Amino acid sequence: MAPEINGPPGVICAGLAKTWPGGVDAVRPTDIQFAAGQTTALVGASGCGKSTLLRMIAGLETPSAGTIEIGGEPPAQTLRKAGLSVAFQDPSLLPWRSVRGNIELALSLARRPVDRAAIDQLIALVGLEGFADTRPAQLSGGMRQRAAIARALATEPRLLLLDEPFGAVDELTRQQLAQDLPRLWEARGTTTILVTHSVTEAVMLSDRVIVLSPRPAEVVADIAIDLPRPRAPEDARKPGFAAHVDAVFAALSQAGALRDRPLAAQ
Amino acid sequence: MSAVAGYAAPATGGSGRGTAIGLLLVVLGWELAARALVGAFVLAAPSQVLAWLIENRGLMGRALAETLGNAAAGFVLGNLAALALAGIALAFPASQRIVTGVALVVFCLPLVATGPILRVIFGPGDGPQIVLAALAVYYTTLIPLLVGMRAAPATWFDLIASYGRGRVSALIHVRLMASLPYLFAGLQIAAPAAFLGAMVGEFTGAERGMGVLTIRAMRALDVEMTWALATVATAVAVAAYLAVGAIARRVLQDAPPIILAPPRAEGAEAGIGRLLLSLAGVAVAILVLWWGAIAVFDLNPFFAKGPQDVARALIWAPNAAMARASLGAALGETAVFLLPGYLAGLAAGAGLAILFVLAPAVAGTAMPLAIALRSVPIVTTAPLIVLLLGRGALGTIVLVAVMVFFPTLVACIHGLKQAPGQVIDVFDSYAAGRLQRLIRVRIPAMLPAFFAAARMGVPASVLAVTVVEWLATGAGLGSMMAISASVSDYNLLWSAVALTAALSALGYAGVGLIEVRILRIYAPEQLT
Repeated sequence: MAPEINGPPGVICAGLAKTWPGGVDAVRPTDIQFAAGQTTALVGASGCGKSTLLRMIAGLETPSAGTIEIGGEPPAQTLRKAGLSVAFQDPSLLPWRSVRGNIELALSLARRPVDRAAIDQLIALVGLEGFADTRPAQLSGGMRQRAAIARALATEPRLLLLDEPFGAVDELTRQQLAQDLPRLWEARGTTTILVTHSVTEAVMLSDRVIVLSPRPAEVVADIAIDLPRPRAPEDARKPGFAAHVDAVFAALSQAGALRDRPLAAQ
Repeated sequence: MSAVAGYAAPATGGSGRGTAIGLLLVVLGWELAARALVGAFVLAAPSQVLAWLIENRGLMGRALAETLGNAAAGFVLGNLAALALAGIALAFPASQRIVTGVALVVFCLPLVATGPILRVIFGPGDGPQIVLAALAVYYTTLIPLLVGMRAAPATWFDLIASYGRGRVSALIHVRLMASLPYLFAGLQIAAPAAFLGAMVGEFTGAERGMGVLTIRAMRALDVEMTWALATVATAVAVAAYLAVGAIARRVLQDAPPIILAPPRAEGAEAGIGRLLLSLAGVAVAILVLWWGAIAVFDLNPFFAKGPQDVARALIWAPNAAMARASLGAALGETAVFLLPGYLAGLAAGAGLAILFVLAPAVAGTAMPLAIALRSVPIVTTAPLIVLLLGRGALGTIVLVAVMVFFPTLVACIHGLKQAPGQVIDVFDSYAAGRLQRLIRVRIPAMLPAFFAAARMGVPASVLAVTVVEWLATGAGLGSMMAISASVSDYNLLWSAVALTAALSALGYAGVGLIEVRILRIYAPEQLT
């Protein structure tokens, strides 16, 4: 996986803004660069526009102003080459397809060959061995998220967009998922953008945390997380980790994000 | 794998025994009532019906095969039409209001009049029966299908888009599969409706079939034959309903939703201006189709009257005032039967549903029976009601009420069960009584289902009242359409058809407007 022509792309947003049809500003003109091969977390209060930012990068939302370049190309072109994957907060598995079926669907949508052995291997890698032919309704919430991550990784995306991927499960499961899954895409050197409102999760998973203000979103802090990898849950209690968490919280409260939404609870 | 395999086993049984007991009680009560009323010549006992069926099995079998064949052909054609219309509405989203509006008006055409008109067009043969069967089914498939096509979370479409795929992929991978449960729910209602359509078609001068036998039995006042025909029609309808349900469970690995013709969501946010605009669009489309059909099929102007003929007959022809007066009189006669029956059916359905909730043990037995009976083509039992209650007002009102009653009952019981458990828990935590819970939680939760049933009840009750008027009472619009068809007064016939369809569609739309207001308060999620 040497970063060459097909290596992970950098993402450059220039003057990116989104105004909803009603005139509500979701994202104020923003310049952000996401470094190739790094994991960057976008943190902010609920409804601050961070998901909108991610959806614009994913090509699911058209910007009102500004440009996005993914490895020098606009998102639409990256989409056509199936160069990115999105994992949503809702696992969004099609209920009439098995875990394998959902992964196969992603491959065929991405116009990739369907390699049964590779799929089985991936399913085992996310910890769903033996559940390949199970339908989502019979899986627990955490297992569904694992399946969704497997689907997102199946197409070997160069850019991985995670919209609160562990948001819909309980705290214990969330910790377990955050422990098990990130190493899969870290090992591939994928460029990853993670949207979350859990500060601990952002620090745990990322090389860099970008703090956004309440709506309309604006960058208020850009914090590098230079903690050694791999990181374990117990690292969260170490001073270096705690200092980074405090820095993110400080930036959030400075932005006014903490005024009425106690993020510490999450 | 084995750990989860247990979940897949469907939960069957349970309700089966309740249904069997309920069915047994019905048959027993029927037999006893027949023995008590012997000599009144209104009620044939199950034993007599069985004896008649065995004795006349050849006749019955041929008629049943004929009607089943027509119903099946109509079922296929009608559902194909529904699929095509849904496809148009999906490909051109702007056309959806026009498509559903025109579909509604065509659905509201009174079968009593379209039967004779189709008979003239097709001549002798199976044409009218098949077309009427198709007309009876396509709307109840189209509406759930349109809802089902949109009944997928937005993220599923995002997923497709995130791989750079467009509407075709979304249609294939998401919409078609997501709409399957709704399609089956529509087909489940359509299967018995096709049988009804075919029978009504046979009322209008066919040579063979159950409808022909029904007319013959009624003219001859043959009590046993009338009851035997109604029994067979009921059994066929219930069997068709259950068969589609069984196929659905096999395909979906889950029971289809007990669909109650979900509300037309697009009416939700539309202002009065857009509403009028789409109304005008529907009216224009109807007129164009009306003219177009006469021109394309090159119909004889003596019997095929266009909109301009109807307008002339009602507005500026020398005898227009007389035509208007007789139409108005007929409309008045019909309304006297229709409105009380419609309201009584709604009230009885909702009332009984509430009683069932207060006595859950009864509901367990009665619900499967009610679901099955919902599918019975009530109109085919019209002769029975006439036998039982005579040709007066009461018989007609009861028939209309029964036609509305079963769908309302099923919908309301379903709706009452939709009450959110957590809200019920809140009430329990205040030790609120059963009545409090019923009034404050369950009945509001029932309203969306109730109004959906009320909306679908409008065309159903119009169908019921016109058929009874035609077959039995000889009054009102139904009789007027039948008479004007037989004396070739086609101006009056087409006028009556236009009036009936327009009023029926407007009634449906009117209930729909009330429904949207109610849903905005009690079930806003259904409007998105």
